Amino acid sequence: MKLLRALFILSAFGFLSTSCEDIIDVNVDQKQKKIVVDAFVNNLDTTQQITLTESVPYFATPGTEPFISDATVLIADTSASNFKIFPFIHKDSGVYEWTPKPSTGDTFQVGRQYALIIIHRGDTLISACRLNPTVSVIDSLSAVPVEGNGPPFIDSGKYVELFANDLPGMGNFYWVKTFRNDTFLNDIRNLNISQDMGNNSNGQDGGLFIYPIRFSGINQFLRPYRDGEKVRVEVHSITLEAFFWFNLIVNERNNGGLFATPPVNIQSNIIPLNKNMERGVAGFFCISDVRSAEIRIKEF
Amino acid sequence: MHAVSACMRTLKTFVVTFILFSAPFVNSAFGQSFTLSGFVKDSLNGESIKGVQITEITSGATVSSNSYGFYSITIKMGTYNFRVNSADFEPKLLSISLIENLELNIELAPKAEDIGEVNVRAKKNDNVKKIDISTQSLSGKVIKKIPAFLGEADVIKSIQLLPGVTTVGEGASGFNVRGGSIDQNLVLMDDAPVFNSAHLFGFFSIFNPDAVKDVQLIKGGIPSNYGGRLSSVLDVTTKDGNNKTYQGSGGVGTIFSRLTLEGPLLKNKASFLVSGRRSYIDVLAAPFLNEDLKGSQFYFYDLTTKFNYQNKRNRFFISSYAGDDIFYAADAFGVKWGNNTVTARWNHVFNKRLFSNVTYYYSRYRYNLEFSNGDDLSFNWTSYIFNNSLKSDVKYYLNPKNELGAGFQSTYYILRPGNAIAKNSLGSNNFSLPDKFGLENAVYLTEDFNSTGRFSLRVGLRISQFLYLGKSNVYNYREPFAPGQRRFVDSVWQAGDNEVITNYINPEPRLGFKYQLNKSASIKGGYNRMVQYLHLISNTAASVPFDVWSLSTNNIKPELADQYTIGYFKNFTLGGYEFESSFETYYKDLQNQVDYVDGANLLLNEYLEGELINGVGRAYGLEAYLKKSTGKLTGWISYTLSRSERQSNGINDNEWYPSRFDRLHNLYVVAQYQHNKSWDFAANFVLSSGTPTTFYTGQYTVQGYTVPDAGSNARNNIRNPYYHRLDLSATYTKKKKGKWETNWVFSVYNAYNRRNPFSIYFSTNHENTGMNKAIQFSVIGSIVPAISYNFKWN
Repeated sequence: MKLLRALFILSAFGFLSTSCEDIIDVNVDQKQKKIVVDAFVNNLDTTQQITLTESVPYFATPGTEPFISDATVLIADTSASNFKIFPFIHKDSGVYEWTPKPSTGDTFQVGRQYALIIIHRGDTLISACRLNPTVSVIDSLSAVPVEGNGPPFIDSGKYVELFANDLPGMGNFYWVKTFRNDTFLNDIRNLNISQDMGNNSNGQDGGLFIYPIRFSGINQFLRPYRDGEKVRVEVHSITLEAFFWFNLIVNERNNGGLFATPPVNIQSNIIPLNKNMERGVAGFFCISDVRSAEIRIKEF
Repeated sequence: MHAVSACMRTLKTFVVTFILFSAPFVNSAFGQSFTLSGFVKDSLNGESIKGVQITEITSGATVSSNSYGFYSITIKMGTYNFRVNSADFEPKLLSISLIENLELNIELAPKAEDIGEVNVRAKKNDNVKKIDISTQSLSGKVIKKIPAFLGEADVIKSIQLLPGVTTVGEGASGFNVRGGSIDQNLVLMDDAPVFNSAHLFGFFSIFNPDAVKDVQLIKGGIPSNYGGRLSSVLDVTTKDGNNKTYQGSGGVGTIFSRLTLEGPLLKNKASFLVSGRRSYIDVLAAPFLNEDLKGSQFYFYDLTTKFNYQNKRNRFFISSYAGDDIFYAADAFGVKWGNNTVTARWNHVFNKRLFSNVTYYYSRYRYNLEFSNGDDLSFNWTSYIFNNSLKSDVKYYLNPKNELGAGFQSTYYILRPGNAIAKNSLGSNNFSLPDKFGLENAVYLTEDFNSTGRFSLRVGLRISQFLYLGKSNVYNYREPFAPGQRRFVDSVWQAGDNEVITNYINPEPRLGFKYQLNKSASIKGGYNRMVQYLHLISNTAASVPFDVWSLSTNNIKPELADQYTIGYFKNFTLGGYEFESSFETYYKDLQNQVDYVDGANLLLNEYLEGELINGVGRAYGLEAYLKKSTGKLTGWISYTLSRSERQSNGINDNEWYPSRFDRLHNLYVVAQYQHNKSWDFAANFVLSSGTPTTFYTGQYTVQGYTVPDAGSNARNNIRNPYYHRLDLSATYTKKKKGKWETNWVFSVYNAYNRRNPFSIYFSTNHENTGMNKAIQFSVIGSIVPAISYNFKWN
């Protein structure tokens, strides 16, 4: 009987552990190279940057993307009363720059419609974006102690919570960016976007950002903040299209396993004038209104 | 007096006949025709037997017993010899003088099994002679002989070895029939639909083989009494329960144990059956769990019960099923899903030729998902599909050549797409979506014309109606920016309680024919239009228990399918053994198939309809089947060559692309060898083309985020490798001791240790290296041996 019981336990556990994952070599041709446009700019008075690169094969080492340095890049204010062109000049490594001049009114302004135009080797790419308002004010950024239960959930320590209210009215979208000691947290788990006050279209409006936005998205749960560290949080307004674009990135980056959905080609809002252009286009154009707050972690 | 009543009867027959039929079908309704009718039953346990053929030897006139074992044959006065034949029972000869209407219940003795040979054929040439095309039956007995995962005989896994049936892989719920998706199968348990037939994410099905009498799969030429799904009908009938003696059976397996008890409540009249299973990994694992996981629950169970009563003219039963899968990890995380069904059915024999059937069923599928940090944070999500249905049909046996059927069905649906509440220390957020309501009605007619000559015809018409009902928010959507993209709400209005929002009516013609070439060969064909008003909304590789179902709405059109099928059926004898063979081809045209925008948000989304695209589909193929039905070695070889494709605007550059379950080649070999009275052996071999999948080809970086890129918009552009697997089993049956019969089943699943890919997926920024890796995921990555012990007592 003892033997039988041992046998049963063995095979029951055998069954539970029988699934397996193997890293394999897959030969995927990068059928189409794409021009990659990184055009997230804002209405702050600091120098604005647009970066042009090329996509690389999926299994290539990241950071090896070739950059494009010979393009013409400009943003135009397309409001009828205020048509203006802001040229971005190539600086270095595919980065194009333009610095606003508030004295002459050469800034991006909330409520206006802007166009992005890029010309490269005979191909013209265009895009459009409205500059939406962001939250009117960030009430505070505060450090909170958390008693965690350890990996893989959350470590005990100090974390930061953002207090800001969604603008009244439906259809406001935000991108909450967190900088830890001036380094942008670009981990996909910290890609923090909000539709109105939450991350779902459930009709809640005008209140404090919900917990996943104001807390989960701006902290690294296995790396609590230490005393003396600086934390800056920026709330950028984005468009509905940008919100969906970011959502797709989150979906694709987290896609996998038994319940994977089909990989999706994330559509850019930048389109070629020539529909038959050989190269593809990827990336995004968005102009944001920004509010920010900063905190230095101190002993309680 | 007798003469008057006979005259009245004749007159009645005449009137009914005249009204119901056109002249060419009428031949023997006048004069001295009498009806022989009754039920066919198993002499040992009183179970009714369906599909038994009763043939008048001189004329060849044949009728078969229906699903409830009832038969009726009307012929001219005289003395006749009838042959009664069925697959698993000893044939019987009856000599009857038919000088008046006669009710005769026929009892057949099961075939003795200890002859050292198995006979798995139905009545000789049954497959060739019957009009049914694309239809396959498996008895509980055959299912139990097929080697199975962890030694547990399984209905769905057995079905997956039949031609035209495929699966996405181990661990996937359900099955795909002739290029249809899993929700396009009408899975019935004693008439009640089951929405998720899987235990443990698809490793086992919810049907307890000890309680199952027989299983019928209809892939084409679907008769008009079935409707509501596009691709197939899987009709599972449970046992009635032994009405002669008490008996018990059961088993102890690696994963779960089973016990079935049945017996008479009133001898020959009333019986019961109770059958249950429960897994016990949790019980065995309990001593090994650490403090954190104490109190965890992970198990599944099911309980099937049936109560059956019959007298001369009535049969009544109530059958129920309850089952759940429960996985709770302490108080941190929990999931639970399960089906409940109850069926009550009343069969009544009005007279010798008119048989009626009234069925009520209730079916509910629900799931629940919970997270909690054991403190103040929690999330709770519940969803269900609930339906209540009443149906009634009558069958009129005019004469051996004509059977007429008519019926109606009405089903009320309540869907709860999701009740979700998140709580934290500051309060709670309610993400719940309102319930949805619908009413599906259908009326149908069917006429079977069974010529004693070469030609038989089955004509049917089903008219279905679906009402999408309030209370509900009704949305109208704008056209998308570009084809294949998300649609946004344009306007909304509120429909009141039971207000009709949309009314769909669809005629569904059905046709089947058979042309007998000779005694052992025939050509059969079928056409069916099917309509589906209930849709599974899922775009994952494998179906999950938490998939969302949706009714047809003003935005989601009913799915339609037209299927044309034709086949050649031939039986032959080779080396003294009997073989059955068939070749069938089919073409299926699908409309209003549910497809999804890129990055569709399908869960807890009030605007779900905007995430869906209306596509079309087509599936076509060839199925070859060869079965050896006598001798020590029996089994079958099935080969299917098939394609299943979809097309949706805005996806794959508007070109056709293979569906997720498209497999070009499918070869199944099932063999069973009866060595002697004690030992028998069995093996399965499966070889299938890989399923298609979509791969990323490139990547780029924007704002510090690495973004995978699928290059062009291709969908399902690359194939997973071939799937192949061999399973073996050996059964040792001990000599019967008194009332006890026992056997041991030794089985090996995946005998040569193949790591079949279930899917290949990508890991972006693999283990924080910044590199992307391709990961092949195999659900079964090793040999899985198992032992189970079965017993029977009667």
